[in-house]
Amino acid sequence: MKRSRSLAAWALIGPYALFLAVFGLAPAGYALWTSFVHDGAFSGVRNWSAVFDDYRLSDAAWHVGTYLLLWLPVLVLLVLSLALTLHARPGRFSSTMRFVYYLPGAVTGSAAALLWLFMFSPDASPFSPLLDLFDITSVTDALSGSTLIGILTVMGVAVHAGGWIVVLYGALNALPRDVLEAAQVDGASTWRTTWHIKLPMVRTYVAFVLISSFASGSQVFVEPTVLTTGAPGQISPTWSVNQLAYAYATQEGDFGKAAALSLAMLAVGLVAAWIVIKRTRMYATDDR
Amino acid sequence: MNRWGPGFPTHAALVLCGALLLGGCGSGAGGGDKDELLVWVDNTRTAAAQQYEKEHPDQKIRIVTIPPDAGYVPTKISLANRSKRGWPDLVFLANPAEAATLAADRFAYAAPLEGLVPGKTLDGFAPGSLDTCTFDGKVYCLRNDIAPTVLWYDAKLMEKYHYRAPATWQDYQKLGLKAAAEHPGTIVGAVNGKYGAGTYFGSSGCPTRDTLSLTKVRIDTAQATCTRVAEMLQPLAEKKAVTTVVPTDPAFAKLGSQNKILMLPGPAWFGDFMFKPAFKVPDGRIAAAPMPTWDGEDRSYSGQVGGGAFLISKHAGKRAKAAAAMATWLTTDTALQAKQPTYPAFTAAAAEWGKAKAKDPYYAANPVPVLTKAAAGLRPGFGAIRFEAEWQNSFNQTVGAATGGGKSLTDALSDWQKKLTQAAETNNYSVDQTAG
Repeated sequence: MKRSRSLAAWALIGPYALFLAVFGLAPAGYALWTSFVHDGAFSGVRNWSAVFDDYRLSDAAWHVGTYLLLWLPVLVLLVLSLALTLHARPGRFSSTMRFVYYLPGAVTGSAAALLWLFMFSPDASPFSPLLDLFDITSVTDALSGSTLIGILTVMGVAVHAGGWIVVLYGALNALPRDVLEAAQVDGASTWRTTWHIKLPMVRTYVAFVLISSFASGSQVFVEPTVLTTGAPGQISPTWSVNQLAYAYATQEGDFGKAAALSLAMLAVGLVAAWIVIKRTRMYATDDR
Repeated sequence: MNRWGPGFPTHAALVLCGALLLGGCGSGAGGGDKDELLVWVDNTRTAAAQQYEKEHPDQKIRIVTIPPDAGYVPTKISLANRSKRGWPDLVFLANPAEAATLAADRFAYAAPLEGLVPGKTLDGFAPGSLDTCTFDGKVYCLRNDIAPTVLWYDAKLMEKYHYRAPATWQDYQKLGLKAAAEHPGTIVGAVNGKYGAGTYFGSSGCPTRDTLSLTKVRIDTAQATCTRVAEMLQPLAEKKAVTTVVPTDPAFAKLGSQNKILMLPGPAWFGDFMFKPAFKVPDGRIAAAPMPTWDGEDRSYSGQVGGGAFLISKHAGKRAKAAAAMATWLTTDTALQAKQPTYPAFTAAAAEWGKAKAKDPYYAANPVPVLTKAAAGLRPGFGAIRFEAEWQNSFNQTVGAATGGGKSLTDALSDWQKKLTQAAETNNYSVDQTAG
């Protein structure tokens, strides 16, 4: 009995474990090895110190840090409030909106580049009055200086929010009905139910959104790369940390430095995940 | 967009490493056929490559169409270097500055053309056009097309306003200020990225990318060749007679449709590929004048913004001769080059190309004599560098920002110097700031 249960468990975990090993752990291990090799010979921490001495790293880290500070709270608050609103008013409207929120994230690659450049072009965009408000009169403006970070935040939120709204909505749907009904019987208002019952119960999901979003946000790459095509030279080719890692490998042919920086980023992501897990007691089972 | 598994190490580099771990990327890996020539060209050049293939049935050729994006070829070559296979024998660079990356030790991909292409052929290219391809006295690529700058202007507007195209930069400045005062909103130039840096500073001979070798570059923005440009642009920037909007921006095209572009110094291809399709300036209005001259110089020099080049692989082995033959045909065949969209680098082909262009009804006056002179007057010292993207971006962050923000352009030059020096040193150059 016990044997067949553990077999079933392995059958379920197996494919994921395999993928994790082949596409997660093995590349990370290979990257670790690569990060200590320079021109085919073991070179100790040479690559690592070269990366941390690079003048572009502090700029990139600053950009990404600012981006996270803006994007992460906006994303989480927006996702939470929209998911809770949709859940409080179920029905046709809610399901339509879930689909609508999901749409921006479904457009990727060069199509996304065109779409977003169109959106940020005051002469073509349906949002041009909004762009006017921020004194943006051209794509060049939109991608200059401090405006860029706002643009990236808008892009990041639009692209990522939809998927998370669907996830959180699912989580809310899975909440035990008896608890919600009991609250209703006790005369709890919608607001109280949301704040004191629904929200605490989806806490771990919010933690999950935070961890995943922190990981993808700190690795922001596609958005600045895509926007660069609209106005070459306007955005630094190493605007984000991930772009710098990419430049090491592809433009400088230095895979050692690319691997070192990638691993450093992985470490940042892991530490952030560990903090979130600890703070939200994500894996705690005793108090559920 | 970033829809990999949450929390997964999704780094591009890691993914690349992962792909490599699993036995190479597969794409473009040269087949087992030792005689087959592997050729990478962009979409525009594909038809020409196919024509060559058709005319040479004895030579097995595999043509792969690649995107013209900056950085694409180095990316692919770095992967081929990693897996030690899959190098193209012949590759087209839509961004010829990448020759500096591909010829350097770290990539060790580009083959010197000595013994592959005769000196007589090399002499047929526009003077100075092969500078982009030359490091330490060795030529590493053949230019396909070049993009010398000229002074484009709207002949109809000039006539209407009773202006004349300026012959000197002093007159250019005066006319710009006059136009800005008399016809607000009118612009006479663009100070952005490669368009600003290549057109104004490149044509003036300001040393921002003067490659002395593959590892040595001369950068000195304190030179008079730089400060004279900053001083000339300063009042134009203050009166908004020059814009910092990039010419590929839809907002710039709007200036064209509103008849606000009086003059625009820019590359040879601006006529056919910007004024006509993007800015939508109607037939019979646009004309070209030589780049204005500087005080103390008796001739006009042009900067460069664009163009392409063909490069041969060090790994081509016995296919090197065939690759060189194909590259030579692609760049020098007059019948072929006469039909190509942009200005041919090979002088004899350019003459043939000019015959058709001279009759183009789009222009208010035949632009060919001006273009020909511009091609023969490329300002030296504009080399291929490994920090091309930073070169453009740092220009916008310093000189461009000062132009848009009403600050001193001369002061911005020293910031540009700092950023260029940093970028150059990070890319394994030693920076020479004094040598003339």
